[in-house]
Amino acid sequence: MKVLIPSALRSYTGQAWVEAGGTVLSEVLADLDRQFPGIRFRMIDEQGAIRRHIRFFHGEQMVKTLAHPLDPEGQLLIVQALSGG
Amino acid sequence: MTDQELLRYSRHILLPEIDIEGQQAILDSRVLVLGAGGLGSPAAMYLAAAGVGTIVLCDGDIVDLTNLQRQILHVEESVGVAKVISGARSLTQLNPHVKVESLGVRLEGSALEEQVASADVVLDCSDNFATRHAVNRACVRYRKPLVSGAAIRFDGQLAVFDARRADSPCYHCLFPEGEDVEEVRCAVMGVFAPLTGIIGTSQAAEALKLVGGFGEAAVGRLLLLDGLAMEWRSIRLARDPDCAVCGGER
Repeated sequence: MKVLIPSALRSYTGQAWVEAGGTVLSEVLADLDRQFPGIRFRMIDEQGAIRRHIRFFHGEQMVKTLAHPLDPEGQLLIVQALSGG
Repeated sequence: MTDQELLRYSRHILLPEIDIEGQQAILDSRVLVLGAGGLGSPAAMYLAAAGVGTIVLCDGDIVDLTNLQRQILHVEESVGVAKVISGARSLTQLNPHVKVESLGVRLEGSALEEQVASADVVLDCSDNFATRHAVNRACVRYRKPLVSGAAIRFDGQLAVFDARRADSPCYHCLFPEGEDVEEVRCAVMGVFAPLTGIIGTSQAAEALKLVGGFGEAAVGRLLLLDGLAMEWRSIRLARDPDCAVCGGER
């Protein structure tokens, strides 16, 4: 599926949109980490929880768990909270 | 409305969605702008030009030379001056009929709550998550619409949270408060000057719609701007029934 990477993490991918495989969020993140080592830890903490400044959206829905099913034909949007003003 | 006001705001009044009633509501409104920096500058300038009755401008910083690349409320001779003083001066020059209340502090606690409670709309133009969460809590508590903007590098975000509406999420529903949150600052990461203008101006637009009672504010949506590609993306947001801030409030 197509995954939109927030700009703060594009140092890993070098581009905004990347392809990653998987049918649930954890699989897609694992594939991203295989391609771009270290990127998963920036989104998922040591306890396996989604970091609070990172949100995942898929099919008009916020994805709140790693087990959330994803449509491989759809898009995964990764959004990072911004505080700059 | 006086003849002078009818003339001054005639381009608004000509719009049937606004008309005299909408403009009068703008003139009667009180808007709280938290932050007189990159976002607060254009936001406050449009609010003043459009005739918002009272603008409460809050910022504890002084003008620095590095601010001038984007913080268009401030001019070079204001370097070293409190941002709220510099800002009030610019806003008064723009529209002397607008009352500007300057608070040269970082609003916290009861002072923040007092200002939120007395405002019709709150604009979060701040530069840190602690303020964003404190403002959100106060807006939920006093059921005030919050127009939230953020910008860094080439990325902008805009969202409206309206605690008067049962279906509206709050900022905490979207980004829960936490100690592990990565704070990224313009001073470290940089920010594209016009991006703050686009987001701040959009915040002013949403605020004017809310106080003027026209259009549809972007409640329950997160708008993402990629300034490099100049692409907007809109994401629907749902209220979190388990939200620690608004979950039990409505």
